[in-house]
Parts: sequence; structure tokens; C-alpha cells
Amino acid sequence: MNAKERVMAVLNHQKADRMPCFGANSTVTYEQMEKVQAFWPEGHGNGEIMAKQAMAAYTVLGFDAVRVPFSQTFEAEALGCMIKPGRAVDGSEGIPGIDHPPPFKLDDSIELPNDFLSRGKIPELLKAVRILKKELADEIPVVGGIIGPFTIAAALLDMVPLLKASIKTPEKMRPFLEVAEKAGTALAQALIEAGADIICCEDMTASPMLVSPPTYRDYELEYQRKQFESISVPKILHICGNVDKIVDWMGQTGADILSLEPKASGKLAREKCGSDIILMGGVDTAKTLYLKDTHTVIQECEKTIADGIQILAPGCSVAPGTPMENLLAMVEVAKTH
Amino acid sequence: MEKTEWFQKAVQTILDTDEDAAKEIAAKSLEAGMDPLEMINQGFTEGIRKMGDLFERGEVFLPGLIVASEAMTAAVEILEAALPAEKQQEKKGVIVLGTVEGDIHDIGKGIIATMLRVHGYEVHDIGRDVPIEKFIEKAKAVNADVIGSSAMMTTTQIGQRKLEQALKNAGMRDKVITMVGGAVATDHWAQRIGSDFFGESPKDTIMKLEEFLK
Repeated sequence: MNAKERVMAVLNHQKADRMPCFGANSTVTYEQMEKVQAFWPEGHGNGEIMAKQAMAAYTVLGFDAVRVPFSQTFEAEALGCMIKPGRAVDGSEGIPGIDHPPPFKLDDSIELPNDFLSRGKIPELLKAVRILKKELADEIPVVGGIIGPFTIAAALLDMVPLLKASIKTPEKMRPFLEVAEKAGTALAQALIEAGADIICCEDMTASPMLVSPPTYRDYELEYQRKQFESISVPKILHICGNVDKIVDWMGQTGADILSLEPKASGKLAREKCGSDIILMGGVDTAKTLYLKDTHTVIQECEKTIADGIQILAPGCSVAPGTPMENLLAMVEVAKTH
Repeated sequence: MEKTEWFQKAVQTILDTDEDAAKEIAAKSLEAGMDPLEMINQGFTEGIRKMGDLFERGEVFLPGLIVASEAMTAAVEILEAALPAEKQQEKKGVIVLGTVEGDIHDIGKGIIATMLRVHGYEVHDIGRDVPIEKFIEKAKAVNADVIGSSAMMTTTQIGQRKLEQALKNAGMRDKVITMVGGAVATDHWAQRIGSDFFGESPKDTIMKLEEFLK
């Protein structure tokens, strides 16, 4: 089986030759950049370089899917957020983020711009997907990343005002959640048209680490569900941290795959969401993949597999300084299952 | 109304995350002749302590804690304004807190700042995306006992190491306790960069800090 057949087999609940291993989130590292001679910051905004870096997941790591983009800024920038470059204090190139101040206040009105898909760096992201599709189409699935409604809303309003609104004036969040959902959906559809086989929606702000579970149930769930209804390809929902308290509702969004961090319980996810949902996850990206050795990585992978994980993956975005051997060790574990 | 009733009402406004009610109880308690210091310590501070415990136990979530902290701060401001200078509380220590350069996350740090204030520390929160020099300048200016730095990303975490180095270079490292926090920090990281300790949660931070300041 090649990577694509392997991943599709798991998605179709058929038997694969072995467990697939790939990232729901970015897996780019400095070592891979060296190997493929494609670097940041260009890889964040230039379609050709982005594609080259994404391909390293396949050609260098041996992962079973390639994934773009590598930051969570595309929808937010196109909706008016300022972007903070990824350059770190030591001069190394990191992951761009959303800068402050935010473009909107809670009482402002907001609409999805007509030219949303041609704004900011979205055209380059779509170009990267077209290149990946052309070069790898039959061998390996292309994962296109979008950002979840709550996380985009947090970029538009800033985190603390959004969190406060979730308690004080929750109805005022709706116009922002609605536009954020439409933005993510429009991007997903464009990514699919460009060739994406799978859509991954990252929604870190929806985590119980940030918003309360009732807020997820009463506000985020309906938008996430609506978004996934409009996406024709298999969908991954990734929410960071321990999601035990909302995993039930994550399973009701229409996602085919839930991407979990090791902090969350795979067993509980299975219990709450049933046998149809596919679980992916594996290793804590900061505390294990970035800081520890292959031995610890292997142990943690085995533990999460025993917990019910069907696709092995870094639990979240991989830190760019992560040692390559730790990522390669994950593939080796996948090969034994 | 009995004293304890006033305290209970104050606690309840915080548990209800109701800023308007907290301010109203603060003002009314002063009119009724309550001691502002007692209202702060046994009323509002007790309320946020309870919220902090509920947060640690996973029964209250971050937005609740943020809104409750604001309610408490607003009420305490009213009460402190009524406090004669000689009755101002003695501080347990002076702390400078900030999120390192390149990192714009400051929710966790804000929570720690509130909880440290509640526990009697004088906290100078210098914000997010703070250059190393600012930590040093502020620590000198306020004669800080403790410097806390937060980093939420592996790409910005290096700032915590740089802060340690900068403190050494400035000849200040032996004069302050340093603590690190944030999603990517660990005990191991604190040891590796030479920081005194890693604070995993508000409770953990306060416990470890009290040990160090003994």
C-alpha cells in the first residue's frame, strides 16, 4: 500500500497494511528545511517554497500525508488582522502569529469580504496545494489546513475580550463566529478545488483550557457542524489540550477524525463518540518530541496507541527545533502496528 | 447586617463573576462602617481564592476566572481608596512579571499576577512581548525580589534563558528569585536554564514562592 491507500483505508474503516503516521498540524522543522533547501520565512508565504517544505514530511520523514500551511494566520490576515513575523529573539525564523491590537471590537459589525480568497497569502497557499497535488497526487494525501470559528474570532477580537464576552455577553460573539465559520469554509472549499484530499480544522481557542465547555456546546458546536457539512472531503478536527470535557460534542461536529493531544483520553473519546470516529494523536510536541529522546517518544506513542489511537501523529504543531530522529522514531512505531 | 454576612456577600459576588454587584457590596459595606481591610481579606480575596481553587479543580474555566479577577480588582480598588495610609498591608515581596519578547500570550500571566496579588505580593505586570532589558530595568526600579517570565511557544522560550544570562551580566542574579511559567515550561527547563523554579499553576507557583521567600 502506498501512503494514500493506507490513509484512505483507515478512513474507510478497512484494513490497512499498517498504521499511518502524519501530522494534523505543521510538522516542518529546521533540519527538514536544510534537507530540502527551502526555508522560513519564505515558506510561510510563497507557494512554491511552502510546497517544497510540506513535501519534506513525505520525502524526509516518511510520513503518510503532506500538510500546508504552517501557521494559523491565513484567514485572520485576510479578515484584517496584523501579522507578527515569526522571527525569534535569537534571530531564528519561527511561526508567524497574530499581532495586537486586534482589528475589531465586540460592538463592531463584520462581514466576509467578497475578495476574501484573493487576500493576504491565501493565493500562495492555494498555489502550494496545486503543486503538491500535481507532484504527489497518487502517492500521498494532501491535507489542507483551516482555522476553526472560535480561534478566528479570538484573532479578530483578541483573546481576553472574547473570553470575557463568552461569560458577559455571549450573543455578541455570534456575528464574529458566523463570519469566522464562513471564512474557514470558503478557504476549505478553495483548498479542495486546488487538490486537498483532507481538510484539517485547527481550533485551539475552543479548548477547555480557554473557553468553558458549555460555551463550546452552546456557541461553537453549531458553527463547526455547519462548516463541516459544507466540506465534501474527510475532515480532521484538532483542538489542543485536554478536551475530555468537550470530546462528546467534538464527535457531533461531523468530523471524520479527531486529533487529540496525549493530555486527552483516547479511551474516553472512543466511549463518547462511538466506533465510527477515527482517532489520531500520539506524542506531546513540546514536552516530549521537542525536549526528550527517541526512547521516550516510542514509549509515549505505544501508550497512546494502546489508548485507541488509529493514526499516529504529533499531538499538535511540531516545534521547528524538534530533533528529526524523534519524528523518524514515530514512523518506526507506526510500522510495527 | 453581621460582619460575616458582609463577607459572604462579597465572596458570592466573586463566585457569581458579577462586577457590578461586587462594586456595590464594597461601597455599601463602607457606608455600613465595615473595616475595608477586613472586607478585602475576608470577603473579596476569599472569593477569588475560592474561584482559584475551583479553577485548579477544573470546575471553573478561564473566562470565569478572568471576569472574577476583574470584579475583585474593581471592588478592592473601592475599599483601598478608603484605607488610611498606615493601614495599607505589608507586602510579602515585590514581583516583576512579563511575557518574553516575541510572545503575545498573556492570559496565564494575568491570572498568576492576580493570584499573587491576592496572596499579598506587590506585582508589577509589565505586559506581553517584553524585551529582556525591560525586565531588568523594571526589577531595578521597583527593587524586585522576584522576576517571573512566561513563554507559551518553543520559539520564544529562549527568551527565558536570555533573561537568566542578562541578570548575571547585570550582577543581579543573586539578588532575585527567578521563576518561569507557560505552556512549554517544565521543571527540567527551569533547571536547564538556571531559573529557580517552574510554576505549573497559580497554586504551585504560590507554594514554591513561599518556600523560597521563607
